[in-house]
Amino acid sequence: MKNFKSLFSISAVCLFVLAAGCSDYLNINTDPNNPTEAPLSGLMTNVTFETSQGVYSLGSITSYYVQYLASPNPASPTDIQDAVSYGDTWFTFYDVLTDLAVLRQKAKEEGATEYLGVAKILTALNLATVVDVWGDVPYSEAFFVETLTPAYDDDQQLYNTIFELLDGGIADLQAGNSTVDLGEDDFIYQGDTDKWLRLGYMLKARYLNHLSKTANYDAVAVLAAVDNGFLNNDDDAQVNYFEAYRNPWANVAIDNAGLVLGGWLSEQVVNHMNGTTYGVFDPRIEAFTDTTDSGTYVGTRNGDGRGDAPPAGARSVLTVNTFYAAETAPILIATYAEQKFIEAEAAFRANQQTRAYNAYLAGIEAHMDKMGVDEAAKDAYLTDPAVAVGAANLTLDHIFKEKYTAMFLHPEAWVDARRYDYQYQGMEVPENLNPQLDGQFIRRLRYPDSETQRNSENVPDVTLLDRIWWDQN
Amino acid sequence: MTKLIRGTVGLIALLFMTAINLQAQQRTITGMVTDAESGNTLPGVNVFVRGTTVGTSTDANGRYELTVPADADTLTFTFIGFEQHHELINNRTVIDVALQPSVETFGEVVVTALGIEQQQRSLGYAVEKIDSEELTAAGDQNIVSAIQGRVAGVQVTNTGGAPGSSSRIIIRGYSSLDPGANNQPLFVVDGIPISNTTIASDDTPRSLSNRAIDINPNDIASVSVLKGAAAAALYGVRAANGAIIITTKKGQAGDVAINFKNSVGFDRVNSYPNFQRVYGQGFSGVHDPNSFWPNWGPKISEVRANINPDWRYYEIWRDAFQTGVKIDNSVSVSGGSQLATYYGSVSNLMHEGVIPFSDFNRTTVRFTGAIHPSDNLSISSSVNFINSGGNRVPADRFMERLMYWAPNKDVTDYMKDNGTMKGYYNDGGSGTNPIYDARFSTYEDNVNRVIGYTNLNYNFTDWLSASYRFGIDYYSDQRTNITPGPSGIAGENALSSTGFIREYRINSRDITSTINLMIQQDITEKLSAELLLGNDIFDRNFNQVNAFGNDFVTPNFYNLSNVRDISTSQYLSKRRLVGVYGDLMLNYGDFLYLDITARNDWSSTLPEENRSFFYPSASLGFVFSDIVDLPEFFSFGKFRASYAQVGKDAEPYSTGITFTAPAQYPLNGQVGYTRNQTIGSPNLLPEITTSVELGTNLRFLEGRIGFDFTWYKANSADQILTVPISNATGGTRLITNAGEIENRGIELQLNLTPVQTADFLWDMSLNYSRNRSEVLSIREGLETIFLGSQFGYSTGDASMYLVKGEPFGNIYGSSYARYYPEGEAPEDPLYVDKDAPILIGPDGFPVVNTDQLVLGNALPDWIGGIYNQLSYKNVTLSFLINIQWGMDVYSQYDNFFTAFGITEITLDRNEFRVFEGVTADGQPNTQRVWLGQGVGPDGVDYGAGFYRNTYRGVTENFVKDASFIKLRNIKFAYSLPASILQKIPFRNVTASVSATNLILYTPFDGFDPESRSGPAGSNAIGFTGLDHPGVASLIFSLDFSL
Repeated sequence: MKNFKSLFSISAVCLFVLAAGCSDYLNINTDPNNPTEAPLSGLMTNVTFETSQGVYSLGSITSYYVQYLASPNPASPTDIQDAVSYGDTWFTFYDVLTDLAVLRQKAKEEGATEYLGVAKILTALNLATVVDVWGDVPYSEAFFVETLTPAYDDDQQLYNTIFELLDGGIADLQAGNSTVDLGEDDFIYQGDTDKWLRLGYMLKARYLNHLSKTANYDAVAVLAAVDNGFLNNDDDAQVNYFEAYRNPWANVAIDNAGLVLGGWLSEQVVNHMNGTTYGVFDPRIEAFTDTTDSGTYVGTRNGDGRGDAPPAGARSVLTVNTFYAAETAPILIATYAEQKFIEAEAAFRANQQTRAYNAYLAGIEAHMDKMGVDEAAKDAYLTDPAVAVGAANLTLDHIFKEKYTAMFLHPEAWVDARRYDYQYQGMEVPENLNPQLDGQFIRRLRYPDSETQRNSENVPDVTLLDRIWWDQN
Repeated sequence: MTKLIRGTVGLIALLFMTAINLQAQQRTITGMVTDAESGNTLPGVNVFVRGTTVGTSTDANGRYELTVPADADTLTFTFIGFEQHHELINNRTVIDVALQPSVETFGEVVVTALGIEQQQRSLGYAVEKIDSEELTAAGDQNIVSAIQGRVAGVQVTNTGGAPGSSSRIIIRGYSSLDPGANNQPLFVVDGIPISNTTIASDDTPRSLSNRAIDINPNDIASVSVLKGAAAAALYGVRAANGAIIITTKKGQAGDVAINFKNSVGFDRVNSYPNFQRVYGQGFSGVHDPNSFWPNWGPKISEVRANINPDWRYYEIWRDAFQTGVKIDNSVSVSGGSQLATYYGSVSNLMHEGVIPFSDFNRTTVRFTGAIHPSDNLSISSSVNFINSGGNRVPADRFMERLMYWAPNKDVTDYMKDNGTMKGYYNDGGSGTNPIYDARFSTYEDNVNRVIGYTNLNYNFTDWLSASYRFGIDYYSDQRTNITPGPSGIAGENALSSTGFIREYRINSRDITSTINLMIQQDITEKLSAELLLGNDIFDRNFNQVNAFGNDFVTPNFYNLSNVRDISTSQYLSKRRLVGVYGDLMLNYGDFLYLDITARNDWSSTLPEENRSFFYPSASLGFVFSDIVDLPEFFSFGKFRASYAQVGKDAEPYSTGITFTAPAQYPLNGQVGYTRNQTIGSPNLLPEITTSVELGTNLRFLEGRIGFDFTWYKANSADQILTVPISNATGGTRLITNAGEIENRGIELQLNLTPVQTADFLWDMSLNYSRNRSEVLSIREGLETIFLGSQFGYSTGDASMYLVKGEPFGNIYGSSYARYYPEGEAPEDPLYVDKDAPILIGPDGFPVVNTDQLVLGNALPDWIGGIYNQLSYKNVTLSFLINIQWGMDVYSQYDNFFTAFGITEITLDRNEFRVFEGVTADGQPNTQRVWLGQGVGPDGVDYGAGFYRNTYRGVTENFVKDASFIKLRNIKFAYSLPASILQKIPFRNVTASVSATNLILYTPFDGFDPESRSGPAGSNAIGFTGLDHPGVASLIFSLDFSL
């Protein structure tokens, strides 16, 4: 027994030594792979870049709904407006909204008002984009892991938040006492805060104009915002893509050229521009797609697939030769052309026919300039009687028709389509339409599986025909 | 299948008969058998003529009478618990013998924690041992698969039949709920823990290996399975799920022994679904040889008659696979003297899979030596070098491409003359051929690994000894993943529009250091004690560097310098553990054993203030048969009980919020940062499992019947979980302490020796176990925890969740809506109600309920194994039947099969049906609807048809009973008899033929119900994926020794 006792005391001493000495040996749990802090500039680079990715991600869905694109395969889920879980798109937006929340916090702490203002404007932009397709979404309890099941805020309330963010961002940018200057880390305007300020107003005009179906609609307020908005195409909010990282539409075009089919133009948009529907050839189609092997433009009927057509040569598709799908093409986030059509619509609704007509023509011209249409072709189109209808004859149909062309591939086009109740000339529900839609057009996206699986208590129970608050009958 | 069972039973019966009929009668010998020690007579002793089956056994008075052939020269006496005895007859007619008791009555020795050899009778917890012969019987190359079906409470799941693919082993259920948590036991080879990680590919599942595959099964002498926390407490956190203790072969003092083992095996897919062979390419019943849709066209026979006389059906699912071949050779040399012993081996395995161009190769070299320079000191050392790897064809992609492939095109005609791919439509210009893809889009791993140790033992006195062991497990894993881009030939059907090359360089180094001090003391005459004190240190360093290159400049030249776009990434990880422990073993009168352990661990992965944690265990073994008077037939009885705790730490870097630069940067000289999606917790606690175990071991008829029963309950609390959370929280995953799971179960083991004669021996063992789990709590604020999901078309996907009060393993998904009369509701709103009538919508089709309901459970109700070994003279027949019963699986295959019209179930596509069910008003449905696509004969437009509109979107259709009874292996071996061996220079020559993995019964219609596509490390276990089909093997072996 004596042996036991002495051994116990030896081991007790050993333990003591170990406890003291092993602390350093075990202090190795600082992550060597990821830093615990990120610089303002790194966050700015990512939020500007990812905002453009979000526009693409959502545009790659909504472009089927508004029939810019059509699947080469019959009954393809997005094409026939199935209830698809777009978790990646949801993630893209919440990821950038989280980084924006971190950026706002950090910019505020550091007194970097330029960063703070830009962050608020981008938050408004991304939040509005999310609300416009999903309606009620988490915001007030989101981003800082305070709860694991953030509540869904009412979509109408969130519109108030969006306007507060825009006003706040405008005020921060006007304050002009930033401790850190924005620069090349900003992939949208490379640090030009005047342009950011004008984007703030342009977006205000866009989201005020979304309310056209509601009692809250105020055309004068829209026009007031427009007055402080973009001055010309140079103000366009866009991210130019890179040699080292291609425009995502270029990937679609390259895959399609490699017969991984995608990026096929819908019959609707092709007929819209090639003279079939309106009797006038729109030269911008040359910037949208190449001619087919037969030297013409041939679209594909939504939901129907390509039928007997071969996989290449017979139908109009996105290619890397086009404006939107070139390898280093910009992703357009908000454009002067769009602003002109907003102005035209608001002025029209405010019974300012002349302003509306001038803005309508200026919108077409701005977009044609963007597409690099030559003067002769531009004049020919702008003077065609189907286009140059005169201020007195201008209708909302004309404005929506031309805006539809100018918003090619952009998710705003789906907002317009719903505000306009899909009344575009020639537009019909796709073949093989999702039977749940009962013959009607889709009105919202289904909440993604990631939400129904992880936040099931809060996810609203909706169908694809339930409308976003501003989309009233 | 039943034929096979019947055949097996018949064979056994036949062997019986032969044994009985072989008796010949010449002269009679009588006598009495006694116990040499006590002088008591011994009843039931087996008495045989040596070298024959002529025999009998002694009666109640120890007497026997045996008629023997004239030429008989020796009698053999065998009795459990006594040494075998041979007696020359020498013309005697009365032969009395006294048998010597064997040294260790029921004294089977097992190796437990820290390599301590303990008598099984002393243990207060369940340990099971498998010896080398059983392990290698089936020719498994993966030690984990070799354990399958042999041990109660142990579930082994193969991830398919790909060469070198991983196998998952789970002991007594899932204790950690985290989707990625390690629930597998620790693997310990000669006292050195080794890595059994499966490093999965970062894209699609690729059947990569679990690292225990690097151990050559032929080097193994025995395996002990430590099931409970009590057994594993001394290995600390890494053995919280139990431990697999592997003891390798060592040299013996004496002659040099050289053993050769050679085998060649052939694999084939063991089961196929029932494919429809009627309809071909096209959509909406319209023939279109250029359609993407492989099976929604018109009848193939109609197309042949009216449109294209060459239109035919190919068995693409059979054509795409080949016969796999595996060749396994190994040689070992062992020997030694009193001073030193050695064992050396070299082995090579080459395995080509059933999927073309998939393979796995393994070469191992091992040397173990021990020297005893003095009576007090012994030193042993071992080094094991392994090279392994192969081309890992992703079964998921292979099978998916077969899904899309039109059965009207020959899938084996995969390449054009110019070397480019031939697709299945547009004259080969579209569609990916799976075989072309398997051949040219490669993913090769190449592992070089060294496992080594040195062990010093020193006896200070007869009561005090010390040992020190230092072990290292180092491996580098180089992986190269290449997908070619276009080769530049006009009109080619390229695998990728750009092509890419991905290089992975993985280095992992584990060091373990263990010091033990052992003291033995007799305290009183009856009470003795052993005390073990120790310290161990574990240190892991992991470093992975990846380089991804996209877009080849020069076609068909695969080098990182030949790409337009390159990006790199790195992952570093360190983990250190320090443990101090003590183990006090008390033995009272060799019938009562008490074992108390205590351990404290310090882990680097936990926050400093929570880093240290202590856990104890106590176990009691009571051999009551030694002190209680039991009936004669009751030979041995033991009762055991234990209580134990064991802790688990976290993965490294689980305690903070970090930022990361996504892979696309730098762009324009700028690097963007985003907050990491995985959010750590700064105050993580260790996870603690507390377990209680009760058991008994009973043996009857001198051990010819052995019975072992265990009941256990284990509660794992403060689970460290990576909880998937709503993206809106600011992350996608949160690492947190959340919840508790309880696992409880029973294990039964029955060992029988139904026949035991000199020439004929029949050993049989049966095991049965069941485990039940319940999630007792999860994190506050969370109703459910999402474990994982698998894609299904439309709303036909499946998910696994953890829900409070529910078992682990539930599979959730959409179902057919059920009808309830006003005021009535389903019994349990969480479960699909199969008894309620299906609700039929106004369109005449069943209504889909997309609420996530429980549709089944992926864990078996029970598992069992039946092992039989029958030896007659030089012939041995052994077989192992493995049963996993009452388990469900989500069959992603069936979702795809119906979405694409591939299997027989879709043959009614052009028929009318009145769906059974009731309409919203409660009346039976009477509406007749057409199941086809487009406008039906009734003029109604049915769009994409029933299977695409409705059926594929109902998860309930695809959650299926995946129970199975398998003949895990059957082996027939013949050894040359001694009379021949004497004339040739061999000690032993054995030839055998075996077959493995034959499905005897399963209600599952499809490929092998056992296969799962996920890697062994994943806990989302209820999905088949488009997994690698299971394979059956036929193996021919030739073993000989010099």
